[in-house]
Amino acid sequence: MDILIAGVGGQGTILASKILAYAAVIEGRKARTGETIGMSQRGGCVVSHVRTGGSHSPYIPVGGADLLLSFEPCEGARNIAYLKKGGKAAINTASITPVSTALGLSAYDGDKMMKYIAENSKAVFIDANKLAKESGSIKAVNSVLIGAAFGLGVLDLSEESLRQSMKKNIKPSFLDLNMRAFHSGVKEVEEMRTKC
Amino acid sequence: MIFLKEILLGNAAIALGAVTAGVKVVSGYPGTPSTEVLESVAQYNRDGKIKVEWSVNEKAALEIAAGASYCGARSMVTMKQVGLNVASDPLMSLGVIGTKGGMVVVVADDPGPISSQTEQDTRHFGKYANIPVLDPSSPEEAYEMAKYAFELSERINLPVILRPTTKVCHSSGTIEVDESRFEDETEGFVKDSKWVIFPPLSYRRHLEIEKQQGEIADIFDRLSFNRIEGDGKYGIAAGGVTYAIVKDIIDTYNLNVILLKSGAVFPAPAKLYHEFLLRVEKVLVLEELDPVIEEQLYHVLAVNNFHKPIFGKLNGFVTPAGELKFDNTLKIIEKFMGVRLGNVEESIGTEGIELPLRSPVLCAGCPHRASFYAVKKAMKGKKIVSCGDIGCYTLGNAKPLEMTDTCLCMGAGITIAQGIKKAEPDTNAFAFIGDSTFFASGMTGLANAVYNNTDINVIVLDNLTTAMTGQQPHPGTGKTMMNTSSPKIDIASVAKALNVGFVEKVNPFDHKKAVKVVQEAAAYQGVSVVIFEAPCVTLFKSEEVCRIENCIGCKKCINEIGCPALYVKEGKVAIDDTLCNGCGLCKNVCPTGSIK
Repeated sequence: MDILIAGVGGQGTILASKILAYAAVIEGRKARTGETIGMSQRGGCVVSHVRTGGSHSPYIPVGGADLLLSFEPCEGARNIAYLKKGGKAAINTASITPVSTALGLSAYDGDKMMKYIAENSKAVFIDANKLAKESGSIKAVNSVLIGAAFGLGVLDLSEESLRQSMKKNIKPSFLDLNMRAFHSGVKEVEEMRTKC
Repeated sequence: MIFLKEILLGNAAIALGAVTAGVKVVSGYPGTPSTEVLESVAQYNRDGKIKVEWSVNEKAALEIAAGASYCGARSMVTMKQVGLNVASDPLMSLGVIGTKGGMVVVVADDPGPISSQTEQDTRHFGKYANIPVLDPSSPEEAYEMAKYAFELSERINLPVILRPTTKVCHSSGTIEVDESRFEDETEGFVKDSKWVIFPPLSYRRHLEIEKQQGEIADIFDRLSFNRIEGDGKYGIAAGGVTYAIVKDIIDTYNLNVILLKSGAVFPAPAKLYHEFLLRVEKVLVLEELDPVIEEQLYHVLAVNNFHKPIFGKLNGFVTPAGELKFDNTLKIIEKFMGVRLGNVEESIGTEGIELPLRSPVLCAGCPHRASFYAVKKAMKGKKIVSCGDIGCYTLGNAKPLEMTDTCLCMGAGITIAQGIKKAEPDTNAFAFIGDSTFFASGMTGLANAVYNNTDINVIVLDNLTTAMTGQQPHPGTGKTMMNTSSPKIDIASVAKALNVGFVEKVNPFDHKKAVKVVQEAAAYQGVSVVIFEAPCVTLFKSEEVCRIENCIGCKKCINEIGCPALYVKEGKVAIDDTLCNGCGLCKNVCPTGSIK
């Protein structure tokens, strides 16, 4: 399974990828991730690739991802080419306006971008920032989105493996709030699915 | 032996390989994508038996590892590719003198480049210095190569270069961790004339080392890091992470090709290359950066006096610059084999949607923004050239600050400014340099300015850490990688000791004072140093956020300082409180006092 995680530097995409990859290892499989670390981390575009299917290279080909998790609408749209046709996506609706937009150098139309994602994938849109804050910290957006992915029923990972992986990769003092964030993501998506 | 399965970043895998191999001294200088190697060694060093340090620069770091090796201790030094330029002086001589304890030089290359000034290829340095080079294709192989590199170094008494690239350093794999540790006693330094480089010794060693190259190539012919796989009439030769990508393509499309994997790449495993060339009709060489394997293959053809068509960078078949990813590699293979395999064109495009640019920026609350703004205000209407340097503050080049006119390499800002001032005396030559860069390579440039009576203005952006690479300590912080403290070296005192006539320290967020001090520095005839001291925003948690009320929508704040926390909502400026850390710089800009 190939998962592409997109976001803005500083949002915590790397931890999300590690949690997913390690959950696969717990289930006895081999996993790889490919990260963006360095200059782009300063508020630039970041992506993490997670591959659990025994690939040799860490980077997902264009049109190869089974799932797109995006921490931000524009970054979801920017990376949609990685998604398989008809692939699933979980998108955080909370936008981060780039400085280029504030300066009037490029336009940012979040609604248009989300519409484009919706037209080209099976996507759910959730306000992960709000759910993370309600769980105790804005930093838990990654756990909300992992929850959303699980709620979508697309992950080939059990809830128990994810829980164990979160326990291993998150500092004990932040674990409870991240577990709450995870469950809020699961619940949000499951409620959306029943409504549909 | 206990084996644990871990998901490890390539850099952590290298660190663990070194720890397993019983490394005793590890030194380095931070630089993307190499930084996490040394940091991971420090994390694994729970009992404190390994001496780990961030050295002031790569030259110092390499010499420290060499000294430890002279005593028989296994040592490792880490840096990014441009760091090896700084350390090339000791490396070239060490290739002549040789080593005793296994010594591994980890140099991370950066195809793209993604976070570097150049796309230089460290494999050339191996050839230049007659030092073997190992080039891992994955974190798993990096772990194995790190362990092997120490053994090899001890067998041949030469340092060994381990050269991962960004996609190995910053990808993770599933590693079976060997909990056992190689242990031996360090013999200590044994006095011998072989450690003193003199021309006659260099001549003798040169003869020996050239002979040794053939012996090492023979070892590499039989090493599993180099191998021939698969069957078919066409051949593909690949090294580094490109090998992994080619394997994925072969698996995905069931291709019949003979694949040559070159992992221990210098000196070239010439017999293996020969065998590969004999078996194929034509060859495609896929490697990032320079055509090193390709030239080695041409060399084997020439020496053995036969011909096979080779497609690669040298005949323009493969792009000479940038990364080889799955998709562009697939296109090259399709062209080479004359088949159509992929359907990338049918994937979901982004042509139908307008996407805004999102370049990296200085963080909200970054003190560098306040420093650049203070200098900009102080020098408004005056002729000024701002010479930048390497660090987060290179981002000062972006709109709207536009306060970085030059950037070349570590420490160059101070010296480029001197050259500009000499050629154009009526300009105000400013040099901006970070605290870690100042210790790495700024002090000599400053001494040069004082000695040669050059009227330049040096702005030290002291944020009390090495920020760009992820908050490493340096000589000004008084903290070490051994969790000990050391006497802090005060930059103002250093400048004064170098006889700089004007030295002032000021908090850049004290905007009025900051502007005044810069004006005084510019008016001073001679070398001036202004130290803007304020901690990097990542070092502390701020509960404060700026509030905006009764904004008139003039957007002066956005247009002058471009803080990422400021954005426009319904024609007025709003503040993103998830990003703002309440630094208050925008308050100094707002003409109506609307920001509290």
